[in-house]
Amino acid sequence: MQEKTKRQILIITIAVAVLGLLCYFASKIGSQNLTESSELAATIIFQVRLPRIVAATVLGGALALSGYLLQIFFGNPIAGPYVLGISSGAKLVVALVMVFFLNQGISISSFGMVLAAFVGSLISMTVVLLLSAKVKNMSMLVVCGVMIGYICSAITDFVVTFANDSNIVNLHNWSLGSFSGMNWPNVWIGAGIVGLCLVLSFIFSKPIGAYQLGENYARNMGVNITLLRVGLIGLSSLLSATVTAFAGPISFVGIAVPHIMRSVLKTDRPLVMVPACFVGGAIITLVCDTIARSAFAPTEVSISSVTAVFLAPVVIYLMVKRRGDR
Amino acid sequence: MGSMETRGLSVGYEKIVVDDFTVDIKEGQILALIGPNGAGKSTVLKTITGQIKKIGGKIYIGDEEESRISPQEMARRLSMVTTERIHPNIMTCRELVATGRYPYTGILGILSEHDNKKVDEAIELVNGLSIADMDFSKISDGQRQRIMLARAICQEPDFLILDEPTSFLDLQYKIDILSIIKRLARENKVAVIMSIHELEFVPAIADAVVAIEGTKVRAYGKPEDIITGDNIESLYHMKKGMGKVAASGLWDYAKSLRTLLD
Repeated sequence: MQEKTKRQILIITIAVAVLGLLCYFASKIGSQNLTESSELAATIIFQVRLPRIVAATVLGGALALSGYLLQIFFGNPIAGPYVLGISSGAKLVVALVMVFFLNQGISISSFGMVLAAFVGSLISMTVVLLLSAKVKNMSMLVVCGVMIGYICSAITDFVVTFANDSNIVNLHNWSLGSFSGMNWPNVWIGAGIVGLCLVLSFIFSKPIGAYQLGENYARNMGVNITLLRVGLIGLSSLLSATVTAFAGPISFVGIAVPHIMRSVLKTDRPLVMVPACFVGGAIITLVCDTIARSAFAPTEVSISSVTAVFLAPVVIYLMVKRRGDR
Repeated sequence: MGSMETRGLSVGYEKIVVDDFTVDIKEGQILALIGPNGAGKSTVLKTITGQIKKIGGKIYIGDEEESRISPQEMARRLSMVTTERIHPNIMTCRELVATGRYPYTGILGILSEHDNKKVDEAIELVNGLSIADMDFSKISDGQRQRIMLARAICQEPDFLILDEPTSFLDLQYKIDILSIIKRLARENKVAVIMSIHELEFVPAIADAVVAIEGTKVRAYGKPEDIITGDNIESLYHMKKGMGKVAASGLWDYAKSLRTLLD
């Protein structure tokens, strides 16, 4: 095995260990100071904190992986589900579906939420793809994506404001992005979908690697381009839809984490990057969520506020650096 | 190993760019495709490599029609270097060359000992050992062309399709690249189809030349029969008598280059 590969495996192993430690410490931190072991303390840890920690880990990983797949698809490191408006599309459709059903007095299942989010993601994705045929410049495409995001968020706000139900309060928190109120059944559903996508992405890593040389060379290597493109779109949309359905839109994790992992591992090989992005996204999202719920406890800040503070500078750096390259 | 044959091939996008393109090439031979800018050389090559669909006619690989061969099988038989610039993120030259092993590796694309050996051989063949561990985006155009050629070589093809492999290179790089291609044809029995603008190199490298212009094949045969004053004049729309002047000087230079290439 090559020296470089050994180093990459070592880094990913260390990252997994760090993630484990962070999970442990995150379970100790919270608005309630649980020093003595009591039944209440155990309940808080197992029913409130742990589901939230696992959710942040799994869904954070999903976001970063979704961003990585989108970056491969567009052949550009400045892509992610949030900046391209895909998360916001998912948010809008989920809000519409929820308000519609709540008005009828029906509550919808978690699967229903994921499905609604997936439909929303695909609608936004379609618009982005149509635009990308017209706008060849990636920075312009990102601007278009941000605009799509604004339009979707604005409509979501209208829907949320004019809906007359007490449940809307939850909807409002969710529409800003938050892991609060996570329960075990939702965590398992989310983990199941994300796990499946992770395995599929890993199996796809060979054709994805070929696609990095461009469509023509990939085709010459025997890759079924149409299948791969559909796979990339489907997986990245399903991943970000699952996150949005359970935690609302979360900013910048999808765009910044792949970049950070690329710099640390010094490679863009999908076989390494798929697991690395997942672990990296998990770590960063878990840290950000822990800050979101504990920094100003008992008041919570939205997770997107925290991720934006830490990760938006990374995105700015990326854009500036790319200009410098030309 | 095998031969390739095109019969009445017509290529283009919506409109036909080149019509009735009929050539054949056997193992170990080099076919040069010449013609003015925009004549459709790239379009012909893109059709042969399957990047664009043919409009009509047939392509045979051995006795089999190209469209009946699976993409995976074709990947093991035909490789290419295009004029398109690729932009992989953080990839060393060796890693880039290794992508040529794609049709031979398992489901996760992990290289075996044998694959690594082939990668090393290909890099050595193009004299690329000194740049093997450098980032592909940080090397010169000439070095890039060598690495792309090594990538195509380690795909172990029967057919190598090259679109203007010598354009934008300095004289020494042109000579290097062409002598590698020539060795590959002679020693590994690869059949090469390449487009080229530098007519002076054609006699030194090609076994056959096909000249296209204005949607038609204008001439097809041995270099000495095709690269003539009259043909140059009509191919490149020169004034009467100029082709002859160009051809006489060209053949002198071509003979020197032939010595340099062997």
